[in-house]
Amino acid sequence: MKKQQTGQSMDRVDGRLKVTGGAKYFADHHLPDLLYAALVCSPISNGTIKNINTAKALKAPGVADVVSHLNAPPVPGYKNADPNAKDGLKIFKDNRIYSNGQPVAVVLANTLERAVHAASLVEVQYDQETHYTDINASMGKAFQNNRMKDYVRGEADAWKKAAVTLDATYTIPLEVHNPMELAGIIAHWDTPDTLVLYAKTQGVKNVQDTVKRLFQLPEQNITVHSRFVGGGFGMALRVWPMEVATILAARKIRKPVKLVITRDQMFTLVGYRPNAIQKLSLGATNDGKLTGITHEAVAVTSPYEDFTEGIVAMSKFMYACPNVNTRYKLVPLNLSTPVWMRGPGEATGAFALESAIDELSYKLNMDPLQLRILNHADTDPEKDLPFSSKYLKEAYELGAEKIGWTNRKAAPRSMQEDGMLVGYGMSSGTFGAFRGKATVSATLKADGSLILQSAAADIGPGTATAMVQIAADVTGIAPSKIQFMLGESAYPFAPQQGGSSTVSTLGSAVTDACKALQQKLASLAISNVPAFKNATPGTIIFEDGQLLRAGQPEKITYESLLQQQQLPEVNVVATSQSGDERKKYSMYSFSVHFTKVHVHPQTGVVRIKHIVSVADAGTIVNTKTARSQMIGGVVGGIGMALTEEAILDHRFGRFVNNNYADYHVPVNADTPPTDVYFINKKDPYINPMGSKGMGEIALIGFAAAVSNAVYHATGKRVRDLPITPDKVLDEKAALQWKVENKLNT
Amino acid sequence: MPQENDQQHYPHRKDKHEARRDFLKQSSAVMALALTPPLVIKAAQHDEAIAGIFEKMPVSMEINGKKVQVSVEPRVTLLDLLREQLQLTGTKKGCDHGQCGACTVHVDGQRINSCLTLAVMQEGKKITTIEGLANGEQLHPVQEAFIKHDGFQCGYCTPGQIMSAVACIREGHAGSPEEIREFMSGNICRCGAYDNIVHAIMDVKQGGKTV
Amino acid sequence: MNQFSYVRPASLKAAVDAVAKDNSARFIAGGTNLLDLMKSGVMIPEKLVDINRLPLKDIQLNGNTLHIGALALNSELAAHELVTTHHPLLSQALLAGASQQLRNMATVGGNMMQRTRCTYFYDTTMPCNKRSPNSGCGAIGGINRMHAIFGASESCIAVHPSDMCVALAALDATVLVTGPKGNRRIPFTDFHRLPGNTPQLDNNLAKGELITAVEIPANAYTKNVYYLKVRDRASYAFALVSVAAALDISNNVIRSARLAMGGVAHKPWRLYEAEKALAGKTPTEENFRAAAAIALQSAKTYQHNQFKTGLSVNSIQTALLKAASV
Repeated sequence: MKKQQTGQSMDRVDGRLKVTGGAKYFADHHLPDLLYAALVCSPISNGTIKNINTAKALKAPGVADVVSHLNAPPVPGYKNADPNAKDGLKIFKDNRIYSNGQPVAVVLANTLERAVHAASLVEVQYDQETHYTDINASMGKAFQNNRMKDYVRGEADAWKKAAVTLDATYTIPLEVHNPMELAGIIAHWDTPDTLVLYAKTQGVKNVQDTVKRLFQLPEQNITVHSRFVGGGFGMALRVWPMEVATILAARKIRKPVKLVITRDQMFTLVGYRPNAIQKLSLGATNDGKLTGITHEAVAVTSPYEDFTEGIVAMSKFMYACPNVNTRYKLVPLNLSTPVWMRGPGEATGAFALESAIDELSYKLNMDPLQLRILNHADTDPEKDLPFSSKYLKEAYELGAEKIGWTNRKAAPRSMQEDGMLVGYGMSSGTFGAFRGKATVSATLKADGSLILQSAAADIGPGTATAMVQIAADVTGIAPSKIQFMLGESAYPFAPQQGGSSTVSTLGSAVTDACKALQQKLASLAISNVPAFKNATPGTIIFEDGQLLRAGQPEKITYESLLQQQQLPEVNVVATSQSGDERKKYSMYSFSVHFTKVHVHPQTGVVRIKHIVSVADAGTIVNTKTARSQMIGGVVGGIGMALTEEAILDHRFGRFVNNNYADYHVPVNADTPPTDVYFINKKDPYINPMGSKGMGEIALIGFAAAVSNAVYHATGKRVRDLPITPDKVLDEKAALQWKVENKLNT
Repeated sequence: MPQENDQQHYPHRKDKHEARRDFLKQSSAVMALALTPPLVIKAAQHDEAIAGIFEKMPVSMEINGKKVQVSVEPRVTLLDLLREQLQLTGTKKGCDHGQCGACTVHVDGQRINSCLTLAVMQEGKKITTIEGLANGEQLHPVQEAFIKHDGFQCGYCTPGQIMSAVACIREGHAGSPEEIREFMSGNICRCGAYDNIVHAIMDVKQGGKTV
Repeated sequence: MNQFSYVRPASLKAAVDAVAKDNSARFIAGGTNLLDLMKSGVMIPEKLVDINRLPLKDIQLNGNTLHIGALALNSELAAHELVTTHHPLLSQALLAGASQQLRNMATVGGNMMQRTRCTYFYDTTMPCNKRSPNSGCGAIGGINRMHAIFGASESCIAVHPSDMCVALAALDATVLVTGPKGNRRIPFTDFHRLPGNTPQLDNNLAKGELITAVEIPANAYTKNVYYLKVRDRASYAFALVSVAAALDISNNVIRSARLAMGGVAHKPWRLYEAEKALAGKTPTEENFRAAAAIALQSAKTYQHNQFKTGLSVNSIQTALLKAASV
């Protein structure tokens, strides 16, 4: 028996393409007669377009057209849309401006430089109306839709009656996904009714479906290519208005059009993590038993869509507490629509909940780790079901041991090292372990190689690599002879890459397709190979790429079987989805994060010195790529905790730090050595592999582990992210100086 | 760098070239009155071609060991020349303002941001991009180390990271993990592969192979 | 970017002529800031005069004076033995700025010519007196967390973004300039300007003048120096505040001190009063703190940068402690 592939640290199957520059992302494609697109975007935040003067732009060299609501081809899917449906921005439908940066026109030219320059020559006049971009100034507009019902378990607001209480408000700023790859699309109408797209997407089938709906075309007329995606983190989970605008422009000009948006446009056109204000109230007995949790959240959305996510989800089941109530509201602002950003709402909520638990621990004079263990939920208190698997306590213990939690002195501001204040912090995170429906085509070639195809996406976690490992274990075929192909709409259906569910969903379909393939091979052998003639399918064993008969010497390799039958290939297509196990069990992944920080006492600069993250994510298929996914989530968490905030000047409704120099994504020097550990125990129910998913839990909770450590180091609680030096700065020292100098600033 | 002060600069001001181009376009429009449609198109293309020649400048350089002679508008950056005209798309655009490092290439052996230099400024220079790093099928040790240590996820920043890492070692700035972290901070990785990138560079550095 | 013409003159004189005679012409060296601004539509030159191949790259000792050609690269300069030996403060400041890629492109002259990073200057839809005189200052009354606390005016509260210049200001450098009217020398601290009511002028160069070199006189600041940069991320970020501290300490007495700050004013900000206060004192935490307090007496803050006063005091004190190795 060959060694088990699942659980190995196999190198990525697409690694060579990625390190040689050979991996082609959407913008790397060139088509004959390609035109370049550049966007003209609104500098106002609310109002209407009065007039668009394209004369200068059209006269500029190489300019082919300027497409706007004045001359764009019709979008059939807009026609019968309900004007009150709040179903998204209908680009180029009319002259309405909802937010700053909204695309107003697309300029097409024969070189990139000419398109970009000509866009600056388009003159647009607007009728400006009052805009609202400040959540604090617009709280009166907060509303709930029917997807956001209040939740009550036991008694609402029970925390108020508790012996020990904590009641605090936490804010998350607006954060932007900012993948390295700039968004955009190449659109080419092959014929007036057939469209080819090179897209940046987390799901080619989703793009196909959206375009099908908008342009009312048969599915087979829309081809979407997206083999390599330069990061998504959620922003590529939908088709954005500027992509539709590009498709419209290509339709009008009858040539292929390539749009690559600019970094500042990444702040206004492709979603963001909404800023949120959360009030977390906890009540506990004197010995630390939680008696009440109340979690209220208000987050922003756009004027034309209600974006909701799981901000208050974790508070409902994370701790064993008899009384829990949550309330979630939205405030519509003159901004584009938010979209799930890694960890999505759960990461927002976890910052509040896990900070509050930490604050409560100091009020109780109790170790924050002990407080969590004391209130551990052995079964899901929300669904009243057992967990399919939960090794959170083991994760707590392992993480505590690896960070050296016992070195931590309980009192805040009690530890120092090299002139730095030292703090230890921890937190936990959780996210649903999902499994969707997917179809995989498996083709065994006569040379013994296996080709698997599914319209999945890979934004970086290493999907194809993991699928090859899973297929190798089911079929016994060496990984080097297996190819997993994704990112093409022509392949069988797979859902989007999101919600930490790709391995669960797609791995199950790969498993089922490989098993179906084996059954087909078995039937083939039974019908045609003399040595297998009287075998029943159940007695045939598959090992190392061969068919064997239980207890008998006969065997035949897959390739011999195909060659003997003169078959060039054998193909099966299998669809896989979960059964009713989800009704019997509550399925979640869990993570714990431990950090050790240094805080410079004079400047308030925080440096994370060591991170230990532990994941209870079921079976780990590839320990190398899984580790990468964990450290990646942690780096996202460092940004959330310490550096990231998109800042608006509300007078204009414009972002003032809409670039990589001023919106601080963490750089290499921000990151410390990071140790990742996996519980790596199979979930018995979720799917054949027992894998629960990890993309979100890598980040969820992490920001609280940092803010909790900063509090432990300094005695200063920062409830507004990010924790920049000015928020940590020793106010006493600054104050002392002000007194000395009788200065009023 | 500009060496005197900018008293007043307003965007949308028409430059001389465009004024001349306007003239060319208008003249073809006048001619169009007397011509049948296919000829109108031809005339316009003709003017375009002539105007294009005036606005472009020849530049020759060596890219990945090959002599390259191109004619470009002065405003074309080295990055856009590589990607859009020479189809060397391994070099990536992440910000176009020198703020992310995805476009890092070597010019005369030094790592630079190709988005913030003009193609015409590279006359006579030797340029190495990610496509020119491997020796045929034999990957460069840093490329191998990135695969071994999984120094990437989505792979988009990777060409820039690798070009930067090779230079980092050659410069003598790979002496410790701390030094590597500082001298690799000009390359953003949003997937957060930094810890693995540091391991990859340390591995190559300690392996003592020539980079 | 707009279309422009490009020339590469063979001599200094030809380069100066090319810019002096053409109102819309600009010198280009590293290009890291100019091209950035051109892409943003903030600067729209019609001609670029490439000076990169002019012989202005030398780094050498002329007697006791360190002569640095204007085209010396930031990375070269930071690593140069003459700099690390004689002026380690400059090396530290250079390495605190930008990334290695940008330091490999940016020149000494270009670094001095860097324009502000103020968001209202960069965003052509917003008001900015520096970019578009008399359009108003977006930062006053806007988002001004990164802005000046010293020497600002009603017209402009932007800060100069350089780290290198902070060290050069502290080290009493001199700027060598050539132009249509010949050569002249400008004390480094007089090179950049305060905004006053003409914030569009960053410095005191006349039309067509070109920086040819920077000179640093011999000094005793070879050991007790420290460049402290406080920023929102660990590297590759502009300063909230920065401090260049240089001390000449003998027998536990400060003979002289040099102090300058970045991120706090329209120009590198020398702390003369604090320097005077330190002369003759012992290098103690109390004396450093007292000097820092003196330095901040003329500070004026805005809505979002009030933290910069306290942060500056603490940073000056910290930089001095580090420099003195106390």
